[in-house]
Amino acid sequence: MSAENKPSYDPSFTRELRKIEGGEYATQCMQCGLCAVTCPARKMMDYPPRQLFKMIQAGEKDAVLKANTPWLCTSCYHCTVRCPRGIPIVDFMHALKNYHYAKGTKAPILLLSKVFFDSMMKRGKVFELGMTNGYFMKQGPGSIPEAMKQQDVGLEMIKHKRLPFFPPKKVKGLGQVKKIYDKAKALAKEGH
Amino acid sequence: MPYSFYPGCSMEATGKAYHVSFECVNKALDLEAHEIPDWNCCGATVVANITGDFPQLAVASRNLALAEPAGHDVLIGCSSCFVNLAWANEKFKTDPKFAAKINEALSAAGLKYNGTLRVRQLIDVLVNDVGLEKIKARVVKPLTGLKVACYTGCQTVRALRRPDFDDVEYPQMLDKIVEALGATPVPFPMAARCCGGSQQFTNVQLIYELTGSVLECAAQAGADLMVTPCPMCHMNTDVYQRKINKVLGRNYDIPVLFITQLMGVAFDCKPKELGFEYNIVSPSKVLAKIK
Repeated sequence: MSAENKPSYDPSFTRELRKIEGGEYATQCMQCGLCAVTCPARKMMDYPPRQLFKMIQAGEKDAVLKANTPWLCTSCYHCTVRCPRGIPIVDFMHALKNYHYAKGTKAPILLLSKVFFDSMMKRGKVFELGMTNGYFMKQGPGSIPEAMKQQDVGLEMIKHKRLPFFPPKKVKGLGQVKKIYDKAKALAKEGH
Repeated sequence: MPYSFYPGCSMEATGKAYHVSFECVNKALDLEAHEIPDWNCCGATVVANITGDFPQLAVASRNLALAEPAGHDVLIGCSSCFVNLAWANEKFKTDPKFAAKINEALSAAGLKYNGTLRVRQLIDVLVNDVGLEKIKARVVKPLTGLKVACYTGCQTVRALRRPDFDDVEYPQMLDKIVEALGATPVPFPMAARCCGGSQQFTNVQLIYELTGSVLECAAQAGADLMVTPCPMCHMNTDVYQRKINKVLGRNYDIPVLFITQLMGVAFDCKPKELGFEYNIVSPSKVLAKIK
């Protein structure tokens, strides 16, 4: 067997994923495939959730970490309400994205999530226009062509007052929001 | 029956028409919905991606702690806000460990939640609290002959990851409200299918395809217009409709109204109070048909 074809089986990866928040579901999938036929984004996925779960169970670390499956999940919960094993698949996808984020993976959805989070923590409420600008700025010059393609949509939104120029008023209890977040983050880390 | 109202960030910006028209319906039906003082963002569907679920639910739970002293059901229009607050509340009530942990986090801000509230979606409140009879009785201008595709959306009926107030696959409640207004709901099998959500920046092709299918379904059903209780569905079906026409070579001209906007029309609220200036696909031609 050549080095290229060497199976990447890594049981420690399965164990590692089981330990993340919501990771206990990773090994419960029984491969019925209902999620795979349900997912609205399946056509664009490298692997539907069913296959991703099998790969996790088989310790296929490299392939799992390269899969675009979590990035395409729209959180519609269709798979989740149908799963006969009761696996909260969407919640697991959040956990997987969070795992990637902690590992330093770069992905547009993680950047968007971070920009959204920063906006939320700055005022306690999200400033949609500021967040949009922040997202494209942080993506760098490479994102300009993509942003330009959406110019017509943006202009219509502005014309119909759908993108207010001014941020929402800061929440009075912003200090509370920050304290709750910090404490919750610490509690989640302790994992109890 | 009074409610503690949680508008959410969308209702103050991209979904402003929802907020404006909600206030109109609030008055017309004597809902007595009062905004939760100093509410904060729930984190939508994205924050958990980088914080993990628990910290996001803890931050969202601050709103439950703030609403609790009033003792009223929390009323939410936005699908995503509903997911986070209803799910946090459900977990709080069913998982004592989670509840204790949430209160530990809240205590850092001097807050506490006792789990006494119910979190309710607007559609649920309209059908089950207000009731269809009362809605019918309030109609001044019946929407006779108007064919409506009722797009409930995905998260509104699946927030609890199990059936709640409506069917998780083929929701019917929105149709009942539309019927009470005198309009005719058309068969619309895409009622609880995803529009692509918040993937506008990260995978816009997905929005084109999924929202494209939803619009196609409404067109095939012969709908004059579409209604939704979800700011994200509204964003994709209204704001992106012309873009989808361009990209997919279609020719849709389907106005999309928030359900509260359509209710306002039947209640004969002033057009100014219903926020139609925020709608990109103009509903004026369709609405002019109503006598």
